[in-house]
Amino acid sequence: MEIPYIVTPRKDTGLFNSKIAIWLFLASEVMLFGGFFSAYVFLRLGADYPWPERTLPVLPGLINTFVLIGSSVTVVFAWASLKMRQWGRFRLFMGITVACAALFMVLKALEYNVKFHHQAVRLKDYTVIEGHLGYEKDGEEYVKDHHGNKIEENRIQIETSGLTFNTVRYHKEWVEELVSQAEHRKSRIVLAADVSAVTGEGKPAEILAKAGDPLSVDLLDRIRKAHLDARAHNGSLRTASLREEWAKAKNENPGKRGWQIASGVNIDTAAIAPRLLTEIATVAFKVEPPAHFDFKPRDIKEADGQSRLRDDTLVDGKLLESPMGFHFVDAIDFRHLAMKAVEKGQDPMVAISNSWLIKNDAFAREAWEWHKGEVAKLEKELIDGYGYGKDGKPKREPTAKERYRIGWQELAKKAESEGAPNLGFGGWVIEQFKGPNYDARGGKTFPSLEVPREEVAFASKFTPSWNTYYAIYFTITGLHGLHVIGGALVLAYYLFFGRKMYETNPEWLANRVEVGGLFWHFVDLIWIFAFPIFYLM
Amino acid sequence: MADTPEAVRKSIRTYLLIGAILFGGTILTVLVATQPMLDVGHHGFDAMDCLLGLAIALTKATLVAAVFMHLNHEKKAVYWIFGGSFVFVVALFGLTALAKSDPIRDPLFYGGHSTTPAPLASPTLR
Repeated sequence: MEIPYIVTPRKDTGLFNSKIAIWLFLASEVMLFGGFFSAYVFLRLGADYPWPERTLPVLPGLINTFVLIGSSVTVVFAWASLKMRQWGRFRLFMGITVACAALFMVLKALEYNVKFHHQAVRLKDYTVIEGHLGYEKDGEEYVKDHHGNKIEENRIQIETSGLTFNTVRYHKEWVEELVSQAEHRKSRIVLAADVSAVTGEGKPAEILAKAGDPLSVDLLDRIRKAHLDARAHNGSLRTASLREEWAKAKNENPGKRGWQIASGVNIDTAAIAPRLLTEIATVAFKVEPPAHFDFKPRDIKEADGQSRLRDDTLVDGKLLESPMGFHFVDAIDFRHLAMKAVEKGQDPMVAISNSWLIKNDAFAREAWEWHKGEVAKLEKELIDGYGYGKDGKPKREPTAKERYRIGWQELAKKAESEGAPNLGFGGWVIEQFKGPNYDARGGKTFPSLEVPREEVAFASKFTPSWNTYYAIYFTITGLHGLHVIGGALVLAYYLFFGRKMYETNPEWLANRVEVGGLFWHFVDLIWIFAFPIFYLM
Repeated sequence: MADTPEAVRKSIRTYLLIGAILFGGTILTVLVATQPMLDVGHHGFDAMDCLLGLAIALTKATLVAAVFMHLNHEKKAVYWIFGGSFVFVVALFGLTALAKSDPIRDPLFYGGHSTTPAPLASPTLR
């Protein structure tokens, strides 16, 4: 069957069909990305924390922009080559385009990887510390968990004596992990009391599980099934009872409207009580003997006495000291603290000098004093360069970021001024892609720090959970990356499987490449906005 | 739009020129954002830098759309379809503008609505 209008245009639209289709698709894409960019503006304007402007390293973003622009040129050349019936040139240009797409994704993966391994913590006084977490060590050896993995120094540790699971929400992987941790510590998690329930109407209560039964996913699954069956059964009974009562009330009050009799209609609880089955919303276990369990901070709302996991599991026990151990601190950010101080009408500098970090860490104090000197130098430079305005104030002043943030470049500069080695241009380029070079610069530049758990308000890697900036950054760049992959696959298909079509109907292939190229230009177009917005603003 | 091989051949130089302008525009954007001597408005990033950066990006995007995507010589149907989608984009940005200009002040909405008192003899946070 011949497909119509793949080469010749339709009379009504003046376009071949796939072209109108791609424009319709691109129109929907404009609305999709327009929505996300609009969300970005909204989040930025409404942020209740200092927006991390110009926070991403520019070089990888710049190279990626060059790569995409270059590929936009080569894809149009590939199309032009087909139009001029030059198969060899088409392959060359399309090959470069696909290679550019691969390079773009490699650079993006590097960038994401740095973010996923970079830790940030916001203290309760709004100081933000960034850096690299360490792993627990025993002398020179890394401590490993029962899975053989190194233990990151950011675990909540609880001397656990009891666990109460929500029978609907329990997370199977966590149950298995708890059992595994208990076994590793020569402890057992067992049912605290018999679980008995009426599982059928008119039946006596039966014991579903006995006190002392070990915790397992199967056991919880069984109890959950009984609970959900009971809930469904009891729900039906209550609904039926309510219907019955409603019908009775209608009969007894002819002519009255529903809302007039509604307040007097209730479920006859006494009548249905003997028929109800037992719902088991929670089930308690004890840990014998109490054992020390590790939890990831994001999974638990910790407290001494009773903590709560995200799946509503209650953890009874003593909260042990669980400090957050930075192997290397690479940035100290007082912007949020300063913003909060300004909101309260306080002097930010006084608030900073009263912060936990400045009071408790000698390196932070030293770095802050050094930084204040740098800011003073900058203030002088700006006054010398731009002078004062009519109001007597300097025309240009350091930004909040310059005043209140000591980034890793500043820490490196400080260390270099004190004799630490300069890594040179090559080192700078590598750090642009891989983040601060902890090994080469060492602890003199990036010191270690232990933050007591009670000082931690929120901790996260640089993932969408850290703040709305990273949430929208990953959303837009991630979606854009998927478009790059999709577009590259289509273009690669033309490159590797287009020969046959070229020999039979070259104009059709040219039209297909034009359509693929339109999509590719659109991908470039999105990046043209994403680059300055995320990397430069 | 260049459809015949001859017309396509003639367009090659234009494509190269546009590519060069796009590279140049990108470098300009980076320089404006990173070089103090090209910093417009206040020191550091501010609304002027934002406008300038977006103006360069818009120029680059227009060139890509007009020349590489052939929108400078397209059929009416394409203009209607593609242009129509921008109505929705403008509406979405309009919603953000509406939220921003909400006369009921929300202390949690930091932006320009902050009702916080001025700092004590300290610089304001920008």
